Amino acid sequence: MIEWGEQHLAIRDAFRRFVDAEIKPRREELEHGDTPPYEVLRKMFVTFGLRDMSLMRYEADLAKADKAADGSDEKVGKANPMAGEMAAMQMIPIIELSRHSPGMVTALGVSAGLTAGTIMSRGTRAQKERWAKDLLTLDTIGAWAITEPGSGSDAFGQMKASARRVEGGYVLNGNKTFITNGPWADTIVFICKLDEGNDPKDRKVLSFVLEKGMKGLDQTKPFRKMGMHSSPTGELFLSDVFVEKDRLLGETEEVSYRTGAKDTFKSERTGVVAMALGIVQQCLDLSVEYAKTRVQFGRPIGDFQLIQLKLAKMEVARMNIQNLVFRIIELAGAGKAMTLAEASACKLYCAQTATEVALEAVQLFGGNGYTAEYPVEQLARDAKVLQIYGGTDEIQISQIARSLLG
Amino acid sequence: MKILVALKRVADPANHNKVKIPAAGDKIDTAGLEWQINPFDLYALETALRLTEDGKAPKTRLGEVVAVTLGPAETETNLRSALATGADRAIRVDTTDDALDGRLVAAALQKLVEEEKPDLVLMGKQVVDGENNYVGQALAELLDWPMATFAATIKEEAGGLLVGREVDGGVSTLRVKFPAVVTVDLRIVAPDSVRSSKTAEGFKYPYEEVRFAPLPAIMQAKKKPLAVKKLADLVGGATLSSKYVKFEAPPARKAGVKVKDVQELVQKLATEAKAI
Repeated sequence: MIEWGEQHLAIRDAFRRFVDAEIKPRREELEHGDTPPYEVLRKMFVTFGLRDMSLMRYEADLAKADKAADGSDEKVGKANPMAGEMAAMQMIPIIELSRHSPGMVTALGVSAGLTAGTIMSRGTRAQKERWAKDLLTLDTIGAWAITEPGSGSDAFGQMKASARRVEGGYVLNGNKTFITNGPWADTIVFICKLDEGNDPKDRKVLSFVLEKGMKGLDQTKPFRKMGMHSSPTGELFLSDVFVEKDRLLGETEEVSYRTGAKDTFKSERTGVVAMALGIVQQCLDLSVEYAKTRVQFGRPIGDFQLIQLKLAKMEVARMNIQNLVFRIIELAGAGKAMTLAEASACKLYCAQTATEVALEAVQLFGGNGYTAEYPVEQLARDAKVLQIYGGTDEIQISQIARSLLG
Repeated sequence: MKILVALKRVADPANHNKVKIPAAGDKIDTAGLEWQINPFDLYALETALRLTEDGKAPKTRLGEVVAVTLGPAETETNLRSALATGADRAIRVDTTDDALDGRLVAAALQKLVEEEKPDLVLMGKQVVDGENNYVGQALAELLDWPMATFAATIKEEAGGLLVGREVDGGVSTLRVKFPAVVTVDLRIVAPDSVRSSKTAEGFKYPYEEVRFAPLPAIMQAKKKPLAVKKLADLVGGATLSSKYVKFEAPPARKAGVKVKDVQELVQKLATEAKAI
């Protein structure tokens, strides 16, 4: 793939029209008013047929899982141009939304991607029907709870959240933080360790599905964050939450928390590539326009070479990231996937570059860029988290190095 | 009901500042322009779709909508966009903009109408580039069909349409019999402006614009039929009856001046601008 095709551009234009009509006029309330993004996202899902497509994919995934259980699974790794188009159809909306509201992409990705995906890859058929289906259509909103006040990048080493076996099920305890959609989530995947009185290091990692309003579960108000204001983030407090065994993902203690984890990390990391492209492209477009119209010393500032250098570097970044997006689409169509280390390398580069470009855009806009009146200010704050969530830059670097050094 | 919708591409109004006129002033340089369908023609397309569905189940087609445009191969992008939005098939008449005037467009559409035999021809009240407001009326004349222009509401009746037109000081209502030519105005896309014989009682569209094409429809638009015809096969040797002689850009605005106080402002308005 060397450029967007006619259909891709048609999809892009349709999303631009939607953003203009539905998101731009609500920017103030979404970015600064704690209005949850879910109604706009639901409207987007229905408008573009994404809800129907999610349902179809859900049915297909169920059928595939049934086949795999029969041992009659089809071969993977076959070229499938349709898969490439599906990848493009996922990435174009991410790019266009990220130009204006990367937080909405985060809220959407955690709910319909991470939370639903975890249930789809680790849950029983009954659990998929009970929770994943509604998450995939956005009828319900999901959160995925792993991080704790004392455990971030070293998620499992320091994890304190616990499950104890009791008559008829489990009792869950623990505090979770930085939970995207936490304040509003209907369905929560809660990751914790099984406390059998053994050494915490040896404890099994289990995932449970919780629902809003369960006794002993507290969902806090949204945090005040540096950016991503349209993505509500909060804390979860569990105190002696009783769950029956049918809320244990997979309904067995033997299912590994690693099942599907690699795919999850990869899709998270490639999602960041598309988000970075949206941010960089928007910053570049806004900067070019500003450089042409802002006059200082009697000339448009675009006449000055120091400004030209900034624009040229932004364009280089845009080309690089766009090529990575094309590569991801091309790989999907060829039935191939990046290695985890490659996905890490992409995420590392794109997150760093988006932050650099957005900060340079603020610089180019000068005092105006530092005010919330100009969207580059928001994009610079939003971009920074790309280097932190989904695995910090430092974690990505160590994974790249591990793959290089063996 | 079978409806023929005539569409014209125009330079994206948001990028109008890219329009350039060469020094000779004999044409407009269209290089680098982004194109989209004339907004009023999009409203005509939305009208046609509403007249051929019941509103509640938009995937069930209750008639046929044929989208037509005249232009070079690139305009097929605009036709596919119309197909993605819901038109059933499309026809492109191969030509270029500078080989056309309103009369030729109307003549070509007349031939297409004679071949396709639609019950209704819909188009925008005018195109936002040339602003001629010509083709709909000329087509009705050539066909000798009833015509309603600037439609703000349309209600289907047995054998025809009741068309509401907003005029100075009120609304005038026309009854036209099929087959007919109708050109539409902005308000035709309001939630309850269009009622077909199948529209459920009390149904209102939840939007007042042209509908969005769902992603799967965008992907599948290429599979819908798109026929290409030659302009000469429709209009024979007919040539331009009007010709653009000269184009001029509006004069560049002069920089303003800053005044110290109201007194100076009033003085300049009186002596320099002669506005007071």
